[in-house]
Amino acid sequence: MLETRNLNKSFGAVPVTRDVSLTLERGERRVILGPNGAGKTTLFNLLVGELRPCGGSVHLAGEDVTTLPVARRARRGLSRSYQKNTLFDGLTVEENLGLAAAVATGHASRLGGDSLARPEVREIVAEVADQVNLTAHLHARVNEVSYGIRRQLEVGVALATRPLVLLMDEPTSGIGPEMSKGFHDMLKDLPRDLTLLIIEHDMDIAFDVADTITVLNYGEVVFDGLPEAARGSKLLKDIYLGAWEDA
Amino acid sequence: MFRHTPLRYGTLALLAALALFKAVTADYFGLEILTEILILAILVIALDMVAGFGGMVSLCHGALMGVGAFAYALLTVKAGLTPPLALAAAIGITGGAAWIIGAICARSHGIYFIMATLAFGQMAYSYVFQTPTFGGDDGLGGIARLDLTAFGIDLNDSRTFALFCLAALAASYCAIVGILRSGLGRSLTGIMHNEQRMRALGLTVWRVKADVFGLSGMIAGLAGALAAQHMMFISPGLLSWKVSGEALVVVILGGLGTLVGPIVGAAAFVLLKHEVSALTSYWHLVVGVILIAVVMSRANGIFGWIETRWTARKATRRTGPADAPLKEARTDA
Repeated sequence: MLETRNLNKSFGAVPVTRDVSLTLERGERRVILGPNGAGKTTLFNLLVGELRPCGGSVHLAGEDVTTLPVARRARRGLSRSYQKNTLFDGLTVEENLGLAAAVATGHASRLGGDSLARPEVREIVAEVADQVNLTAHLHARVNEVSYGIRRQLEVGVALATRPLVLLMDEPTSGIGPEMSKGFHDMLKDLPRDLTLLIIEHDMDIAFDVADTITVLNYGEVVFDGLPEAARGSKLLKDIYLGAWEDA
Repeated sequence: MFRHTPLRYGTLALLAALALFKAVTADYFGLEILTEILILAILVIALDMVAGFGGMVSLCHGALMGVGAFAYALLTVKAGLTPPLALAAAIGITGGAAWIIGAICARSHGIYFIMATLAFGQMAYSYVFQTPTFGGDDGLGGIARLDLTAFGIDLNDSRTFALFCLAALAASYCAIVGILRSGLGRSLTGIMHNEQRMRALGLTVWRVKADVFGLSGMIAGLAGALAAQHMMFISPGLLSWKVSGEALVVVILGGLGTLVGPIVGAAAFVLLKHEVSALTSYWHLVVGVILIAVVMSRANGIFGWIETRWTARKATRRTGPADAPLKEARTDA
């Protein structure tokens, strides 16, 4: 479903992504681990087109999308949520989801009729709101709701585009353990045919949700395999998991 | 997102009633002022659509109005087109020009967008000013008004023409509300709030901006064609950056992003201009002081200030007794 081949990116003389080759099958749930500065978010930016690679290619559903701009990749089914909330702050939760759903249903650029009142848009909004547990907050303005709800909405907006592949950049960052547990359940309940690529620092969530684990270090893939194998890897313990194991 | 509130409906109804009353009772000079207000109001709501709901602060809307005026004048005076056809063509030509400007400027933001639109406006002004076909510095005269005598309407009568302009303003307002409530308008608002996210959702941002800018240009073109018919004479000064600047002043004075506010602003601006200029030729100073006061007050223009007071009053009514001790405490402090 999503594939990268020898993806490279440098900022000046500093390489931040080095020969990254990944293959995600349809419905696969892969978690990307790595210390700060490992190049995880840069990899996401390369995948969605917010950064242009210095070398290598990105393929979505068999099509080379390396040169496509962000919007066209998104229309082909590649959606992302951001590490920092990137929402429409002055609007309501419903309008945030509605804007995304309108793009997904092709109503976002049309004249005539209220796009947010379209039955198919409303259907997506209701469905996604249910998936990310926001049904009770639909009419609240984004700048008036809690940080945790905004994190849920961040994922909801990405989901409302009806993606084939959803990239989530630290969806649980900054939220408490209880809400994190709710997030965990929400991730597990997402449709199984949706391909997920998640950057996550919460190891409990990472190992429970992931079908496969990829570990990046200094922009390079140093581990790619099953969660069980990741747990036992000495290399991983050295570069990343030591603190977690000790705890 | 654009919303009508009871206050906005009430203000619109009040403005419409006042305009109708003046159109029926005013003398010739009063009708001229009313028509000037109505045409300016069409221009500024077109500007508010892109600036207040899309963050595209344009300094070429005066020039777009000028394009509409000159297109209408040339097509009627020199090409011999009938006024209705010329009107439709003028609106289309201005819309096309605005779409191109919007498409080119869509990738710039803030001050760069303002400067890019200003450059387009000045290019249009210079071209018209230096081209003999457009009459050069002398402008063009002998412009005919629409002929609606088949419907028993004589637009050569000032009162009827003022009413016609009022109808055009109402139609423009409804068209803009329709655009803002459509998918295109909702996306425009989304772009203003978070352009990066709209792009990440799959929206072709530049296209939405260009489309809305083009539609706004069509409405500015209508204002231009009406201005040409109103004066029956046009000069290149209509395309000058001063007209664009004044339109922006009117939008800010009335209330950016409220759609109703700019109409209030247009009325206030034209009335101030005529009333103060009767007393002193430095009327711009007075308008400048008022504009500074409005901006410094942090209220969103005259209508924004009214809306804020209205909302605060409603909130006080709802929570009245609970607020009272707080107020007392503040007074004590």
